[in-house]
Amino acid sequence: MYQALLTRRYLSSKVMPLLASLAVMLCTAMVLITWSVMGGFLERLLSAGRNVMGDVAVSWGTIGFAHADDLIARLEKHPDVAAAAPMIETFGLISLPGGRTEPVIIKGIEGSSFDRVTGFAEALWWKPVAKPLASDQEGVDIRLRDENRRVLGRMHADGLAMMASPDPVSGRDWPDPRPGVVLGIELSRYNIRDGDSGTYTPGAPIVKTADGRSDVQRSLILPVNGEVVLNMMPLDSSGRPLGGLDAVTRAFPVVNEFRTGLYEIDKGTAYVELSSLQRALRMDAARRIVPRPQGERAAPAFRIETDPSTGEERIVRTEQEMIDDPARVTHVLVRAKRAPAEGGDPRALALVVRQVYAQFADDHAGKVPAAPGTVLAGGHARIAESGNAVAIRTWEDQNRTFISAVKKEIGLVLFVFTFISITAVFLVLAIFWSMVSEKTREVGILRAIGASRRGVAFVWLAYGGVIGLVGSALGLAAATVIIRNINPIHDWMGKTLGLYAWDPQVYYFSEIPSRVVPLHAAIVFVGGVASCVLGALIPAMRAARMDPVRALRWE
Amino acid sequence: MPFIEAVNLHKTYRLGRVDVPVLRGVDLSIEKGECLAVLGASGSGKSTLLHLLGGLDRPDREPTARILHEGRALDGLSARGLDDFRAGHVGFIFQFYHLFPELTVLDNVVIAAMVRAGASYASVRAQARARAAALLDTAGLGHRLRHRPSELSGGERQRVAIARALINRPEVLLADEPTGNLDRATGRRILEFLEGVRARERTTVVMVTHDPSIAERADRVVTLEDGRLARPA
Repeated sequence: MYQALLTRRYLSSKVMPLLASLAVMLCTAMVLITWSVMGGFLERLLSAGRNVMGDVAVSWGTIGFAHADDLIARLEKHPDVAAAAPMIETFGLISLPGGRTEPVIIKGIEGSSFDRVTGFAEALWWKPVAKPLASDQEGVDIRLRDENRRVLGRMHADGLAMMASPDPVSGRDWPDPRPGVVLGIELSRYNIRDGDSGTYTPGAPIVKTADGRSDVQRSLILPVNGEVVLNMMPLDSSGRPLGGLDAVTRAFPVVNEFRTGLYEIDKGTAYVELSSLQRALRMDAARRIVPRPQGERAAPAFRIETDPSTGEERIVRTEQEMIDDPARVTHVLVRAKRAPAEGGDPRALALVVRQVYAQFADDHAGKVPAAPGTVLAGGHARIAESGNAVAIRTWEDQNRTFISAVKKEIGLVLFVFTFISITAVFLVLAIFWSMVSEKTREVGILRAIGASRRGVAFVWLAYGGVIGLVGSALGLAAATVIIRNINPIHDWMGKTLGLYAWDPQVYYFSEIPSRVVPLHAAIVFVGGVASCVLGALIPAMRAARMDPVRALRWE
Repeated sequence: MPFIEAVNLHKTYRLGRVDVPVLRGVDLSIEKGECLAVLGASGSGKSTLLHLLGGLDRPDREPTARILHEGRALDGLSARGLDDFRAGHVGFIFQFYHLFPELTVLDNVVIAAMVRAGASYASVRAQARARAAALLDTAGLGHRLRHRPSELSGGERQRVAIARALINRPEVLLADEPTGNLDRATGRRILEFLEGVRARERTTVVMVTHDPSIAERADRVVTLEDGRLARPA
């Protein structure tokens, strides 16, 4: 009891312990902020994959494989699979209004199935929203305005269907419903991103008109229904360029834009309606001549034939052995019933997908690529990478090098920061050592009135513990406030001091990801308290070992 | 049987590489309720004798010494036993008061009850605080309970120290120059207060002083000279 009394009085009447508490506060806040930002970065990196490719992707280069519908039907029957969707991924160039051309990853998707796998509808940027973004405190986002609700609603529906309906502003209609393109929000650079609110304001680019003049493109949200041109290279099913080396050029109206938060994706991806991309890349279903074995001369496509009734010669097509070449896709994306955050394991799903694919490959032997095998690694079965089989990968598999580097970096940074925080232990030790010296006579009084050595030691340990409790609690509170406002703080530092620590081009995400994990906060809190008790231990032992007679005579 | 009996007390302190004998064979008997004054010059070993009698320090192991309190040998007690003995049976009063500067007057007195009661203090808290307040009231400090020691005069501080020494109803009060830091008038009032306490609480008092005029107020006076008790003249 007397320990509590003395601790309370010492704490409220001395400056040094308050300084020690401040040091502990700074150390705990530093460790927790670091852990939260880096942990949040890793978590968002891992979960971002779900918004880009679901949980698992089956892929076969840029050539693609057939019978994807059958594979998707088989996958969706499995109880662990929530949805599956076909996709084509290819590389190309995008020509934007204004004459700018950029390299781009072109993905062909079916809006609805892609939405079931990745939550695409949510990633579409231009849609009416009910509440502002966390950083948009002044509600400047144009998506919040009631007068835009109808247009934005139409744009959202168009984006999901990947089809252009009449221009919502001008009412200009296309001859037929046209497949459209959905661009990454950072790709066109027509929209001006406001750093404070995190929203986008449509700009007004200068475009060249048909007669060569320059004109400012007027549209509510740019570049709505303004066309962009995609240049791609079609390959046949054996991987050879079709039509020589001439690129296929197609113009698509922009129906919406998307934002995943992954800067690289938002900067360099364009989604196109699947069937139109299949046609452009000649990956759609077609009848074609069966290729002859190597070395055998192909019969000429046409021959001259004499009409037996008239005796006239005429040109006729040579009878060829034809086969139906089914439509191909390069990827089938799979979403698990349980998200990783809910305890789902993408690697376990990958094994399920492999099993389904193996049966699928057996049933379509010779027509689809083989299934990969499995290997044992660390006591768990994993899918073996093989050049002769389709790749079945999770997001983490696809980005293994980078994600492993981030995980290791988190461990390293936490180790370094924790090591730095050990200075708090020595700080408490130094402060307590000096306080014990100052309080030597009081130690003597305590012993004279019957306090035991252990009791005297406990005074200082309890004191250290309370400093740890106060410092760690303040540290946790400070860290929580900072983490929750880290993006506004970062923006303020950038504007006021010119310090920009977070570069979206380096760190993938356009905002600093951070989340306080209660377990991490608890570990940091306990660590802070334990550090202080540890720092108080040696001075406490010193106080306990003091000869009471000498302590009473201390001057 | 004497209330306190000390036999052949030797105590040597080591200062650097030099052994300094302070007590060189002290034999002493004190009766229950007696007020004994130990008179001696500075450095004669008075305070050391007081510390040994109160279990705050132990005599040299060689030659064998004994300190008995009502027949109970202190040298047989463990460190923890000595702590309990000091908490429950002895009240120390020091020349420089030795109060806790951060605590209020009331808490300075109550803390001794806290130390004695340990974990069970909560059950005696109300009685302890009431007794502390009563003792301080008797000492004329009833209106100063919430003050800090730095706000008190020397005489008031010493009265707080006496109240602290009495809170656990000790059988013996060991006072080390209780008026040594006070002016004569204040010292006289402290001694009168101490005599009143002794009469009320029926406490045995051993008082160390270098002032013969203070010593003569005791029932009996012994003189320490060069670590030994001088023979009565």
